[in-house]
Parts: sequence; structure tokens; C-alpha cells
Amino acid sequence: MLFFRSEEQVRSWCAARGDPMRPLVRIDQLWALATTWYSTRLQADSRRPKPEEMRSIFAGLGLEGDFWDPRSDTFGRHKEGPS
Amino acid sequence: MDFDTQIKLAIYTHFAETGRRPSLEDVASRVVSDAGRVRDAYGRLRQQRVLVLESDGTTIRMAPPFSGIPTQHLVKVGGIDYFANCAWDSLGVPAALHRPAEVLSRCEQTGEPLRLEVGLDGPGPSTWLFHCLVPAAKWWEDIVFT
Repeated sequence: MLFFRSEEQVRSWCAARGDPMRPLVRIDQLWALATTWYSTRLQADSRRPKPEEMRSIFAGLGLEGDFWDPRSDTFGRHKEGPS
Repeated sequence: MDFDTQIKLAIYTHFAETGRRPSLEDVASRVVSDAGRVRDAYGRLRQQRVLVLESDGTTIRMAPPFSGIPTQHLVKVGGIDYFANCAWDSLGVPAALHRPAEVLSRCEQTGEPLRLEVGLDGPGPSTWLFHCLVPAAKWWEDIVFT
């Protein structure tokens, strides 16, 4: 989970590693994720979001699709067709 | 409050107050318990994904968003330096502390320094981006790599 100056830099970094480029997240979206995950972390009753909550949180920020689905077991295999 | 919650709060309070990971003895002292019981609680908290431990089972590698070791993601809050585990966690530190912060990191491709001023309502407008290689379903298969 890394910072990049621009989409072009992400593309270059992924190409150099031979890795696929993943969905990009803006800083304002990242702040929303950070506060959702951590704003109660120093409290006794804090807890991590459950998978179904995570999916809803991501969708609320426009982060949708299998990449953001914590229960997906098919990410990256769509082009192979049903198994 | 149950014992594991006391342990969790002791760990996080130590990080928040010092910017550094507590030792097993630090935590035992805070909760007035013995190291063996604290070690057992560490294992349970690891199962709950509250902690990431080194291979010795007693040294804290991560108590997200805090990192137990120096990283490229430095967060300055009120005169204390904190290390975050990743870009996400670098914003998680001021979110957890509810305090303004300065986040210092870099572009992973070019090394260009990133400096983000984070207020209580978050960072100001920025064109920088966040990218994660690992899909959400696999984050905890190797959380250190993620």
C-alpha cells in the first residue's frame, strides 16, 4: 500500500515489476478509509470492520468490484471463464 | 473490561504516548500482570488481526496503524514521531490520535518526497494517489507485504 505522485508513475512502477495495475485511490478517499478503520482504535470497544461492512464502506467511496471484495475468491480469474 | 482489551489498550496507549512499540514487560507493567499471561493475550489478539508479531511471538511488528519498526511512512504529531505500516496507515495515525499531523513519505516510483499536512478534518487537496497490489480478500495472507 504505497503513495504515488501520479497515475503515470503507478503505471511505470507496475510495468517495471511485471505487476498488473490496480484501482487507484484518491487522497480524500484514503482519508475516509483511514478514519473508518482507525478513529476508534484507541478505545476499548473498537473493532475492525467485518467483511460485509468493508464491502459497504468501499462501495460508499466508489471502490467497487472484486478487487475491493474481502470475500472474493475469484479476483484475477475472470478472463479464464467459469471453472 | 476483559483482559485482552486491557492488553490492547496498553499497547496502543504506549504507541500513542511514545511513538514506539512496547516490550512485553512494558505491557505487563501497565496492566499489572505477568509476562506469560500477556504473551498468551498477544496470540489471541493476533488471531483477531489486532496485532502482527515477529517470529518470537512477543515482539510487536504492527499494531495498525502503528509500526513497531521504522518505515518510509513517518508521521509527526505533537513533537512525537510515529512510523506507519503503509500509506493507508500513515493517514490512520492522525485518525487514531485525533490530532493534526504531518505525513512524510515518498512516491514509490520516483522517490519524490511527499509531505501532507493533515488537519482534524483530513488532508488538504492533493493530487497524489494510493495504490495497492493485493486485493482485499488477500490482505491478511501476508499483511507485511500488503
